[in-house]
Amino acid sequence: MSYKKQNQIEITEQEHGFLGQFNAMASPCDCLVETDNLQQAKSIIELVANEAWRIEQKYSRYQDNNICYAINNSNGSRVAIDPETFGLLQFAQQCYDISDGMFDLTSGVLRRVWSFKPNASFPSREKVEQLLPLIGWNKIKFDKDSLILQPEMEIDFGGIGKEYAVDKAAQLVIEQFPDISVLINFGGDLRVTHAPVKRPYWQVGVDSQLAQLEKSIRLSIGAICTSGDTERYLIHNGKRYGHILNPTTGYPIKNAPHTVTVIADHCLQAGLLATLAMLHGPKAESFLSDQSVKFYCQR
Amino acid sequence: MQLVNQSKRMSKKAKNVSTAIAAASCALLGSSAQAEGDFWDFSKDWKFDTGFLYYGETDRVSAVEGVFSATHEPEFNDKFNFKVVLDSLTGASPSGAIAQPNSQTFTRPSGNGQYTAEAGEIPLDDTFRDTRLQMNAQWTKPAWENVTSSYGVHFSKEYDYLSLALNGSLAWDLNQKNSTFSAGLSYASDTYEPVGGIPDPLSSMVIDLGQFPTDQDFQDAFDATRIDSSDDRQTTDILLGWTQVINRSTIMQFNYSYSNVSGYLNDPFKVISLVDNGGIATDHIYENRPDSRTKHSFYWQTKHHFDESIMDVSVRYFTDDWGIKSQTVEYKHLFYIGDSSFIEPQFRYYSQTAADFYQPYLLDSAAVPEFASADIRLGEFTGVTLGLKYGWKTNAGNEMALRLSYYKQSAKDVLDSHPGVLNDLEIYPDMDAVFLQYTYSF
Repeated sequence: MSYKKQNQIEITEQEHGFLGQFNAMASPCDCLVETDNLQQAKSIIELVANEAWRIEQKYSRYQDNNICYAINNSNGSRVAIDPETFGLLQFAQQCYDISDGMFDLTSGVLRRVWSFKPNASFPSREKVEQLLPLIGWNKIKFDKDSLILQPEMEIDFGGIGKEYAVDKAAQLVIEQFPDISVLINFGGDLRVTHAPVKRPYWQVGVDSQLAQLEKSIRLSIGAICTSGDTERYLIHNGKRYGHILNPTTGYPIKNAPHTVTVIADHCLQAGLLATLAMLHGPKAESFLSDQSVKFYCQR
Repeated sequence: MQLVNQSKRMSKKAKNVSTAIAAASCALLGSSAQAEGDFWDFSKDWKFDTGFLYYGETDRVSAVEGVFSATHEPEFNDKFNFKVVLDSLTGASPSGAIAQPNSQTFTRPSGNGQYTAEAGEIPLDDTFRDTRLQMNAQWTKPAWENVTSSYGVHFSKEYDYLSLALNGSLAWDLNQKNSTFSAGLSYASDTYEPVGGIPDPLSSMVIDLGQFPTDQDFQDAFDATRIDSSDDRQTTDILLGWTQVINRSTIMQFNYSYSNVSGYLNDPFKVISLVDNGGIATDHIYENRPDSRTKHSFYWQTKHHFDESIMDVSVRYFTDDWGIKSQTVEYKHLFYIGDSSFIEPQFRYYSQTAADFYQPYLLDSAAVPEFASADIRLGEFTGVTLGLKYGWKTNAGNEMALRLSYYKQSAKDVLDSHPGVLNDLEIYPDMDAVFLQYTYSF
């Protein structure tokens, strides 16, 4: 049965252990545990699911009772933050610096004019340019206890939230069950905590039409993330526009690959490298070749 | 000039990105190792279910039942379940005798004392009182690859009744567990030891209407209608099942069951009235049923999961060599309300034809048949159940549910005409009942 209620986990026995399935962060989530022990599998799957739900609850912009809502509705006033949020803000700052402003968690306001659903319209230049003053991570002031966000600006943790959740869940598993191989997959952001014992690797299906990925990726330990526009894009005047937006222009990146898949140690790394590659548009491949990571680009 | 510099800076920086991101990731993941999730304790292998049921028929039997079930499941498909059910019944049940225009007196099944039925009322034996203890132990284990075995013992004891049963079954998982075929066998041995003994089938109920000079004379006459102090029966059941996953949201089940019962199949408390051409009862004789019965039952169930609800439809067809054929249609639909509660309306329709030997009464002008019973459970009737279940999760994550349902049973006339006074009387007992059930799992 695929039916999963919010906060409901479905566990099925698989060839090499147990599979837990649940929904979190608007994505179907899988947790594959290599063990014969149902109780152990249950403990691990519930640990992973609860961490996913905790992070979703705390940072989702679709809820009105969390830190994300408090920040985005602070209207310029000082908001108290906890150590975990400070860590995420620092990470976002580093990503902004590393990418010369191309990776920017305040660019979510562009969603007000850009929609990548089927038949969505192409926004006018005027509307896009009106939003540009609301974008810019450097306009945010924060320290370890508090943050000040300009009125009308927004922070969207969605750009790193799923990757962060996978890595946090993996970390909990590694701490509590260091010898068990667990594959965590939150809507395509995936990580394996420990090499499997009964087989040399996990077979991982990837959302890509590349011939070399047809049979899936083999992964014994590490993370795989895919960034892409296979479903989310706009056609305007015969040109295809992917959903990755340039925060400095407010427009979709031109000539970006359809999908970029990156393999790295952590999901945060893999996810960020995949996103940055997309932001490099036509130079995605050359950007990735410099990173000494395994990657697949689909044009 | 400036532009060139910018582009150079970018490409130079790009080469270091991977390492910088790795360092930032490690810093983030290392910085906030929180203890969230520690209060979740998953070490328990035991699960407990408790339940409480109230069942009440209007003016008749009422029952309360308590259920306690413990399940130990250390491994997937390796399960032990122990269940205890205690129920207590009190009240009155139709004795099988016919209503009359005048009041009637009957002897209690034990021979001690009498019960009466007012004019126009269907006679009810008011001594229906019993406490039943049931215990069940079931083991389920993987037998070999893709095969699960299950076996169990069952014990049920009432004051005048003892049942012991054994069962075993095997389930084969086929085609990536999308299909499961199961076959089971069970055997039960029941012993009846009614207070007052086993009545001689088709003998007349001895009623003390003042005709006996002494109590001993009545007792001797009563004892003469008794053939034994106890009797028994044996039941063999075979169950074949097929469960099929149709797609990710639909599952279907087909069951066939065969059951053979032999031995004492009468209800020692039931009588059937003999009436004359005017419809007046002249005698009440103890019922007699064949000493074997073979049943076949076919069952189909489909569950479909929608986004926010689960539909559950089932149909059962039953037939036996006593001439009873029945159909059951049931529809349940579970709707989730928010994340932690649900509501489930239930509708069930049941109809059955009468056993060949079922008669509401016998004519005393005709020869008494070999088999006869006026037990309405063997008659022709329809039953409708309407119910509503509400379930919710407590803050601690335990599940509770409350179910309220209403059952209405309506008999159908199996005869074309009735003699004399019976035309103005209620012949078939109808029934209304209410169930209230509470369950708690922890």
